[in-house]
Amino acid sequence: MGVKDKVWEVFRQEAEGDPMIHGGSVRAPDEELATHYAREFYGRRQESERLWIVARDAITELSDPDLLKPPFDRSFKRPGGFLIKHKLETARQRAGVSDAPSQEDLSE
Amino acid sequence: MDEEARAGAFYAHVSAGGKVEPDDWMPDEYRAAVLKFVEMHANSELMGVLPEREWILRAPTLRRKLALTSKVQDEVGHAQLLYRVAEDLGKSREQMLQDLLAGKTKFHNVFHYPTRSWADVGIIAWLVDAAAIVSQQALRDSSYAPYARTMKKICWEESVHIMHGRDVVLTMMNGTDNQRALVQDALDRWWGPLMQMHGPPTNPATDRDLIWKIKAKGNEQLRQEFLSIYVPRIRELGLVIPDPALAYDEVAGRWAYSEPDWDELRWVVTGHGPKSQERLEFRRLHRAETQWVRDAIIGPVGAAA
Amino acid sequence: MTGLDAATRGALGELLLAMADDEFVLGFWDSEWTGIAPILEEDVAMSSVSQDEIGHAKALYEMLAMLTGDDADRIAFGRRPDAYRHAALMNHPRTDWAFTIARRYLYETADAVRLESLAGSSHEPLANLAIKMRREETYHLLHFDLWLRRLTEGGSESRDRLISALQELWTDAQAVFAPLVAEANLLTTGILAESMETLRQRWLARITPRFAELGLPAMPGAPQPHADGRSLHGADFSWLHGEFTMVADSEPRASW
Repeated sequence: MGVKDKVWEVFRQEAEGDPMIHGGSVRAPDEELATHYAREFYGRRQESERLWIVARDAITELSDPDLLKPPFDRSFKRPGGFLIKHKLETARQRAGVSDAPSQEDLSE
Repeated sequence: MDEEARAGAFYAHVSAGGKVEPDDWMPDEYRAAVLKFVEMHANSELMGVLPEREWILRAPTLRRKLALTSKVQDEVGHAQLLYRVAEDLGKSREQMLQDLLAGKTKFHNVFHYPTRSWADVGIIAWLVDAAAIVSQQALRDSSYAPYARTMKKICWEESVHIMHGRDVVLTMMNGTDNQRALVQDALDRWWGPLMQMHGPPTNPATDRDLIWKIKAKGNEQLRQEFLSIYVPRIRELGLVIPDPALAYDEVAGRWAYSEPDWDELRWVVTGHGPKSQERLEFRRLHRAETQWVRDAIIGPVGAAA
Repeated sequence: MTGLDAATRGALGELLLAMADDEFVLGFWDSEWTGIAPILEEDVAMSSVSQDEIGHAKALYEMLAMLTGDDADRIAFGRRPDAYRHAALMNHPRTDWAFTIARRYLYETADAVRLESLAGSSHEPLANLAIKMRREETYHLLHFDLWLRRLTEGGSESRDRLISALQELWTDAQAVFAPLVAEANLLTTGILAESMETLRQRWLARITPRFAELGLPAMPGAPQPHADGRSLHGADFSWLHGEFTMVADSEPRASW
């Protein structure tokens, strides 16, 4: 590519309040032109609420599975790792409450 | 892990539906296969601009002018998206454009043919884009993730083009006898290239693009899908498809048709189509004419990206 | 459009036609860049700008159509070349990138002054349309000022081509503010808050310092344009006219 040219990543917001998601990239020699091009490629159809334009070389990527997906059980760090359905049923029966647990109860 | 074992694990990963990102390790063969596939696709979008571009100035109403300019603009945009995907695999945009203009790389057959009337504009936007979208929808699941993501964006944008094309065709079919004759004439000329567009059937056991899931569906499957959706839509307008052998075989569960001229396809994509050289020359001329702008704005081409 | 007398309707019509034709013809010339612009990303940007112009032309033709009981497409596509009222600036073909940028810069800055003034028009629909158009023009102004700067600073070739283009277009650019035949009526009724000549002076006062800031040479004198700055067109426009009427004329009463 041209010696002054760079790659810029464009992140876009679909609707107010949404997270920024990666849209794609444009080539441009500087931030100003990159911004105009980001608008063209990720905003000309009025499809974006907001755009972030970032030089690719400003981005640090982490994809090492040893860091992101290490092998030991870590389910205690996520809600889905706690299964309380049976314990709740047992406790309710002992306390004399006969209704089945609600969806709300199970998700706590 | 030695190179061979690593490659083995990689191919097992993609064959099972796993995805690949630009910075992941990949065998050279896979990288080369994806690059070739995406580069041809990018080239096709760029060359595909030219048949329709002629009619931008000639669009007969304000609304058609807007729609056609917007459509062609989208094709340029798609070329940009695809060249970016290919460039991130290691070949610079400048090198790809150079190879295209030197006739070293190819672009799809349909873009080597002339457009003769406004009816062609409708037929291309409707049916050529439809045939393309059938392929592109299948590519949304490509193992090469940047390509798959780009295809999702492209498919969304292409859906507008097909509606525009169908609207142009419908308006003419509901118009004068002369307009209807123009549409039939356009269909007569474009049907052959359309049938060739997805390419001859390939052997799934040896088609690496299929095995490595760079593409998800075979050529014949794509053609059959296209026919199933579009033959009824073409016929319901009173248009006659210029293939007397075209018929749905209930027993076999597929469309039968006259064998497309694969020699013509090969001849055309190797640069011998009616408009191949003229369009490449046109691009060469304009690229040369605007070199001073690139030199001023992005500077001379540096070391390979 | 009731409440306007015949003379005022005619005057307003003349103003709308001039503006619509400016946008229409410029949009057409620049749409030629679609697919062949110097840089892929810029190709898309330039195409957007051209489409914006056609969109604005459409809105202006539609307003005119309501005024005269005609149809927007018929007004846009149905006149002989000598009946178009675009400024002489739009008689030139696309030419090269420097020419296009120079023309765009001159036109966008002039149009900005015109729209700013029309935002205060006594004719409410026109004032509202002007306000809408100004919002879209924000991007145009940013984009072409950027390119003016880039070509000026991009080395001697780009600078020389730009300067040569600006000089060639300078006199014809004044015609954007060519006096309208019924301008007196427009000023009396307040449809135009200020005369074209006042607007032209404002435009010159804005761009002259900008050129100086960028180190561009001062332009040759800026003579007041004649009224025929909007009625004399040449061979290039005749060619363009032939192109854009080709399909429409092939079947005059057909729907496309």
